[in-house]
Amino acid sequence: MAMTMTIERVMAFMGLDVLVAKEEGLFAAEGLDLRIAALPPDELRSAAEGTPTKPTTNQGKLQARGEAQMFQA
Amino acid sequence: MIVCGALVVPPTSTVYTPQELAHKLVALDYGNGTAYAGLQMLEGAMPREAVTTCAAATSPAERFAGLMRGDFEATVLQEPWITVAEQAGCRLVSTTFFHGTWVATRDVSAEAYAALLRAITRAVRRINADKRRYVSYFIRDWSGHPEVEALRPHDFNLGRIQLKEPGPIPENEARWAWEWMAGWGLLEGAFDVTTQINRKLEREANQLAAAVRAG
Repeated sequence: MAMTMTIERVMAFMGLDVLVAKEEGLFAAEGLDLRIAALPPDELRSAAEGTPTKPTTNQGKLQARGEAQMFQA
Repeated sequence: MIVCGALVVPPTSTVYTPQELAHKLVALDYGNGTAYAGLQMLEGAMPREAVTTCAAATSPAERFAGLMRGDFEATVLQEPWITVAEQAGCRLVSTTFFHGTWVATRDVSAEAYAALLRAITRAVRRINADKRRYVSYFIRDWSGHPEVEALRPHDFNLGRIQLKEPGPIPENEARWAWEWMAGWGLLEGAFDVTTQINRKLEREANQLAAAVRAG
């Protein structure tokens, strides 16, 4: 039975390896059903709302509520 | 994945070196790797009190637009927006590289993590064997943005596309990153590797993934 894992959305600039592995079936070849989840647009907040010591970030929000197991920081 | 961050100024700027950005407004997307890379590039060129920043959007498209409008003197961009900026006549006054790091929940199994590592290792090898082919992903990420859609694979400087096979995080590098962030007031408390890195899971997964690395 395939293992499953959900990760938060990655962009090519820091997740090109993940995107290529997904598209070329490399996760599936390892028995891993990798799913990529994204926050709904209305939940995205801009970093422009933050300060250096209190930044506004969207990273980890899905993981925090149990909808993803990994995210990139 | 290794990320390239570039400190970029608009075509009309009189700035050619990072130290010339002292006391000038640099837009950073606080809380993201590109912002930390920006601070590191700036503090390497001037005293910390001369580093002057403002909050900017996470989207490099918005930061590039703000740069071209003259909202600030410089910003940090990543690909494909570094290439977009170059095509628009902007100058890179500094570039650096940093790691994208995975953060996992406690319930990720060593087997699943190992499968992830094996697949990523194979992807890294494929990409490194033909980077020009795979830069199309950068364009695909930004469909609907004409500046990016106008790019062609040969426009990219492949030296900025760097991929490294995944492996354990060296403790000294994690400690240096923590202490550097604490030095800017971005983190509080002392670094404790046992609370930051699950070495048991990391070791087990990397051992399970080792066969593909040896191959």
